[in-house]
Amino acid sequence: MEIAFWILSAITVIGAILAITMRNLVHCVLSLILFFLGIAGHYLLLRADFLFAVQVLIYIGAVAVLILFAIMLTRHVTGTEGPREVLGGKWWAGMGTAVIIAGLLWAIIRKDPLAAMLPAGMASTSVTEIGRALVADWLVPFEAMGVLLTAALIGAVVIALEEVIRKR
Amino acid sequence: MGFIGKGLFEGMVVTARNFVGSYFDKERLVTVQYPEERVQVPENSRTFPFLVFDKDSDPVASMRCVACKICEVECPPQCIYIVMDRDEKGKPQQRPKVFDIDISVCMQCQICVEVCPFDAIKMDNNYEKSQYGRFDELVEHLPELLKSNEFYNKIKPTEATAVDAKLKADAEKKAKKAAPAAKPAATAAKPAAPAAPKPAPVAAPTAKIAIPDDAPFTPEQRQWLSGYLSTVAASGVAPAAAAPVAGTPAAPATEAPAGNWPWHDPGLGMQRRLDLAKETPIADKLMAAMAQTDCHACGYDCRGYADAIATGAETDLSLCLPGEAETANMLKKLMQEAGKL
Amino acid sequence: MDQVYKVAPQLLKFLSYLLGWLPWIGKPVAGFLSNPPAWFLLAVAIAIPILFVVSVFPGIFAYTTLVERKALGRIQNRIGPNRVGRWGLLQPIADGVKLLTKEDIVPRSADKFVHFLAPVIAVIPSVLLFSVVPVGAGLVPVDLNIGILFAFAISTASVLALFMGGWASRNKFSLLGAMRAVAQVVSYEVPMVLAAVAVVMAAGSLSTLAIAKAQGGGILNVTHWFVFRPWGFVGFILFTIGAMAESARTPFDIPEAESEIIAGYHTEYSGFKFALFQLGEYLASIAMAGITVTMFLGGYNGPGSGPGILGGLISMFWFFAKLGGMIVLTIWIRGTWPRVRVDQLMSFAWKVLLPMSIVNIVAVGMWHYIAIRPIAWVVTTLWLVLWFITLSKLAASENIEKREYRYAS
Ligand code: SF4
Ligand code: SF4
Repeated sequence: MEIAFWILSAITVIGAILAITMRNLVHCVLSLILFFLGIAGHYLLLRADFLFAVQVLIYIGAVAVLILFAIMLTRHVTGTEGPREVLGGKWWAGMGTAVIIAGLLWAIIRKDPLAAMLPAGMASTSVTEIGRALVADWLVPFEAMGVLLTAALIGAVVIALEEVIRKR
Repeated sequence: MGFIGKGLFEGMVVTARNFVGSYFDKERLVTVQYPEERVQVPENSRTFPFLVFDKDSDPVASMRCVACKICEVECPPQCIYIVMDRDEKGKPQQRPKVFDIDISVCMQCQICVEVCPFDAIKMDNNYEKSQYGRFDELVEHLPELLKSNEFYNKIKPTEATAVDAKLKADAEKKAKKAAPAAKPAATAAKPAAPAAPKPAPVAAPTAKIAIPDDAPFTPEQRQWLSGYLSTVAASGVAPAAAAPVAGTPAAPATEAPAGNWPWHDPGLGMQRRLDLAKETPIADKLMAAMAQTDCHACGYDCRGYADAIATGAETDLSLCLPGEAETANMLKKLMQEAGKL
Repeated sequence: MDQVYKVAPQLLKFLSYLLGWLPWIGKPVAGFLSNPPAWFLLAVAIAIPILFVVSVFPGIFAYTTLVERKALGRIQNRIGPNRVGRWGLLQPIADGVKLLTKEDIVPRSADKFVHFLAPVIAVIPSVLLFSVVPVGAGLVPVDLNIGILFAFAISTASVLALFMGGWASRNKFSLLGAMRAVAQVVSYEVPMVLAAVAVVMAAGSLSTLAIAKAQGGGILNVTHWFVFRPWGFVGFILFTIGAMAESARTPFDIPEAESEIIAGYHTEYSGFKFALFQLGEYLASIAMAGITVTMFLGGYNGPGSGPGILGGLISMFWFFAKLGGMIVLTIWIRGTWPRVRVDQLMSFAWKVLLPMSIVNIVAVGMWHYIAIRPIAWVVTTLWLVLWFITLSKLAASENIEKREYRYAS
């Protein structure tokens, strides 16, 4: 278990580092996929096999593929020349964001409010339990999420439609 | 009743019927398993020419080809190469020494067969001509090209029977014609020697230009160049030599020496040949009108046919096959000009 | 795996009995095998399913290619391969040798590493898919309680290989093929997963083994197959279409449409890398056929199947027989139907398959809540048929515009 954890962590970290340092955008995405895979492995290690499957299905199967598709449809990025100066002089903005996020994470992990929020008996992460939790205990947030996503979907369709109409 | 996707299922039924049917219905399975089975090729199919010979005992001697080179000239992609066989003395042997056809160039048009006056070249129907090499392997030489008449009869019975009958009829006609003429001549096979003054073989008076041996040419090139330059020199000399006698048309023009007829070159055009023979006797003019291939389609060589016409021994003016109508018309015209017709 | 764990000691005993006759090493090896330590037993129990998956299914793949070529040949009134061995039985081996000895060509401007990686990645998900396919009663390499979800997750990952291969080749046909593959797989996954949701709802589990078990019983172990339910029948058709599109089989072989874009994403592959792509593709399609069988055609259930050695063997027979049937069906379809156009493909997925699969989910709900079976039959059938007619009317009545060819004069 220990060994598996370290190997997976190494894969995850290497994937993450490569994803932001590679010159070629497609290589970046492929490294990102490696990173996703590492995370999925971690889920498996934590016996959260549902999360593992969802991670693979959504992040690798959908998100990464969508990013790749978007890259394929754009020009000049499949070459070797990559975005060298994305941040330009604004590197401090990136640093600031990183520091804030790290602080937040640290605070969350230290106080561990999630554990307090979890109802007792959620230790098991079987699909049945998750399903029950989603549509019984957490129904309102779940539905709110659904509405939000639907809104996003409709928004995308509207934007695309406008373009089509303008073309006509 | 129609429903969506009906056509898809109908298609599936068709393919299923094909699938099952191919196991029971021999008609459906049309594949010919090639190396083991072969399709019977139609009699008139053609792939590549071959040379016919008559006697199995001696294919080279009995081959019908006389190296007249008509096919070489007529072949559209020019894939035939012929060298006439000569004995040690340089006398033409009436058969090819080299006869090459390039498989990769031949377009299987059968024109060589159509033009051959001797039924010597015919089309094979063997389609397995592939080779392992790209160069000399793709050229068929005389030994490979020679096939017996029986073979011809086997692959194309109808055509071969007709050809055999025609050849037999021709031979009989010739024998009949040769019979009266056989008296003056010693041999029946050889055409009667013309009674006209046969030009004595004299040494060539015109300077024969020889290319030096150290010139950068192959022997064949050297030979050709020598001949060509000699011809040019001869034609340049001839008018000058004729100038003094130009005023006296009655004076018999000197006949060009035997074997040194400058027009005797199939590469020259009719007009050019006639120009070269302008100041010569009628027999030479007639000769210049021939196709100059010495193909013996007429039963003589070019010289012999011209002499025979000039002396009246031969009255048929349409015997020169390679010269076609052009020669026949010109012969007629020349004879009329000479007042002999 | 549990079953294997139970069988493994017996197997080792048998092996030790066999090996005991050998001189020198026979005795000690036999002693070791007849009384194995726990770790060895575990290793054997893990190794057996792995060996099974990596030997049986590639074998099926090899002979699927032969059967495919033979059947396509007969469909087209040809003979098909019959030169290597009797009836061409050694043809797959000859093909393998040919592909192994072929030159491996990598385009000069290709992205060498990704180009190399793509065929490897193409095979991995396909092999992993088999780990959740139950081949017999209780015989599944890994009984994951998220089996179906795992299968979908893994099968979407295979699109990555197609993309990598197409992109790394630096060839416009490859790239076109890759784009088509990505678009196709992403859009067909949705109806496919939704069609599977219906089954999951009915079986009440995501585990493939539980789904197969739910279809047992009834007359001759046949009548409870999901395909003999209205929603199951519709789901079967939806899922089969989705699976064929996902594994790029004709009529959905748009990513590698020979007549349009040469060979699509594997245009620039030769030799064994090409073979790996083929292997991955065929394995995925066989695995998808296996999952279809498990979800709709009763899995390993059939007359005589059940627990125990004999029942297990019969259940394996039924599973592989059904698998063969599905493979033959795909071959038959390949030999019959023409390839669809890209726009047809997309509109079919989004305008017909997707609504139909959602309607199907509703049908399962009805089936579940209407306790009286005959009424449930009538209601769900009516519901599905009405929707099918409506959807096909909608799809067909869409006024077809006069096409303008902008670039052709
Ligand atoms: S035309 Fe006939 S006789 Fe003349 S060279 Fe050709 S094959 Fe020989
Ligand atoms: S068949 Fe035609 S191309 Fe071939 S050798 Fe005869 S004339 Fe030439």
